[in-house]
Amino acid sequence: MSKIDQQEAGAPAAPGRSSPHVTRLRTELGRIAAIAAVFGAAITFWQGDPFILNIMAYTFLFGALASSWNIIGGFGGQFSLGHGVFFAIGGYTTANLYFHWQISPWLSLIPAMILAMLVAVLVSWPTFRLKGPFFAIATLALNEVALVLANYFDTLTGGPRGMMLPFNAGLANMVFTSRLPYAVLMLGFLIVCLVVGAMVLRSRLGYYLQAVHIDEDAARAAGIDVLRVKLSGMAVSAALTGIGGSLFAMYLRFVDPPTLLSIQDIGVKFLLIALIGGVGTLYGPLAGALLIIPLEFHLRATLGGMLPGANLLILGALLVIFSLFMRRGVVGAGQALWARYRRTKNE
Amino acid sequence: MNEQIILSVQNLTMHFGGLVAVGDMSFDLQKGDLLSIIGPNGAGKTTLFNLLTGQLQPTSGEVVFRGEDISALAPQERAQIGFGRTFQISKTLTSLTALENAMVGAFLHRRSLAEASEYAMEILDMVGLAHRADVKAGILTLSERRRLEIARALALDCSVLLLDEVMAGLNQKEVESVIELVRKLHADGLTVLVIEHNLKVVRAFENRVIVMDFGQLIADGTPEEVLSDPDVMEAYLGRKSA
Repeated sequence: MSKIDQQEAGAPAAPGRSSPHVTRLRTELGRIAAIAAVFGAAITFWQGDPFILNIMAYTFLFGALASSWNIIGGFGGQFSLGHGVFFAIGGYTTANLYFHWQISPWLSLIPAMILAMLVAVLVSWPTFRLKGPFFAIATLALNEVALVLANYFDTLTGGPRGMMLPFNAGLANMVFTSRLPYAVLMLGFLIVCLVVGAMVLRSRLGYYLQAVHIDEDAARAAGIDVLRVKLSGMAVSAALTGIGGSLFAMYLRFVDPPTLLSIQDIGVKFLLIALIGGVGTLYGPLAGALLIIPLEFHLRATLGGMLPGANLLILGALLVIFSLFMRRGVVGAGQALWARYRRTKNE
Repeated sequence: MNEQIILSVQNLTMHFGGLVAVGDMSFDLQKGDLLSIIGPNGAGKTTLFNLLTGQLQPTSGEVVFRGEDISALAPQERAQIGFGRTFQISKTLTSLTALENAMVGAFLHRRSLAEASEYAMEILDMVGLAHRADVKAGILTLSERRRLEIARALALDCSVLLLDEVMAGLNQKEVESVIELVRKLHADGLTVLVIEHNLKVVRAFENRVIVMDFGQLIADGTPEEVLSDPDVMEAYLGRKSA
């Protein structure tokens, strides 16, 4: 920061050993710890209020999912609309293993993650050859295909009627009588996603993803294997999304195709939250979830009865406003304001 | 095979439909050379450059690097074995800082963030951009972006630096400073291949020059020899009217 200010003030440049400004992973981990502390305090404060706890659980979960999407969608610039597929794979894997063989959802997180990752790499292999909107459309189609398959293969998915998961309360079953443990669980998942996001962003993979995002030719000239970098980013992103699907299934104790594969409530939502919060930034998706999810609950409660779908109308309007006036989301706008404040202060 | 020949172009030919963009070009590049390739607009310079960097695959002929035919290698594979390049229309990573741009190159042979950023800073210092390390590449001046592209290539630890019209669009003073930088890199032992439209620049380097016209090699020698060659004059200025 100070370097830039010096430049703008026309001060002589001070080259040499002054440490270059690259945010280290350590710094990010400190920030994430602070976020965890604040949200932990919030859970403690509202621990007796199931309504608020439910909103918090959803906010953390969707903040985590948008952060996962952001790894390939934001850092890597690959606007996937197909993340609902990886989410559903996680949900159905955990639901099946729990329903048929009473396998603890904690254990089934591993196959859920691996399966989501495998499918992601498999379907991305051809689709990553498409660029920009063509890639987005291909992934959207993927989601729709998955919806049809989920309705059809009812031995695996319960078909359109879905699967109701038995209520056997206990930590091992990830089934709880109160909403408090769920809020803590979702917060834990959010922290995992933020830490993984930070580890990616502050590493070679993160810089390679950003390079691929900005200019593929320049990336190739820097020796980057573009397809491999995209696939690596997608694998990490899909693995986390799969875990999210598992947790969501255990939270609802119910899975059916529209719950896991609805394009407006799942697939597009990750991206919408990330866009509004600040796509490509580490904390933008979380900021987006903090804004969107409580707002959505509020709208559904106040408008839902009067005019069905009014909440979607308002979310749509929000997206239009953000894409017109705040292209870099809440976090981007905040950064711009901060930079302006710094500049006026220094003058 | 001569040990000193680092890059060898053998009968390289590129057809676009009926158009022969590069026709049967052959030349060698010695290790530590500074070779300029010039030619008027449409001579096939950029096509030749793209054949060298792997953007295009030749219709026939070979590009040989350190004794191996690399004609089929993709651009990133060529970067991995030691090709550093710049783009005619500069391709910096605009939303990253100058330092991060250089880091993207430095990561090729350095895994950790600390090592890559340290090395990238050294390289920025070398090209004279250390004081701009924290500035987003998108707000650098054109001449700074050109330097940054060179920095990214150098951070790859490249053994051949290929410059595609790095002087285009720069003013006299900026051209001189880039020439000085390229000379310095060459003096430090780097093999450099410059593709240029501008004749003045070629004179400044005082090294070997190859002149292309209509996809053919029409002259090869020192700037004085080449610039006094009647064929070259004709290519640039047109035939003397009788």
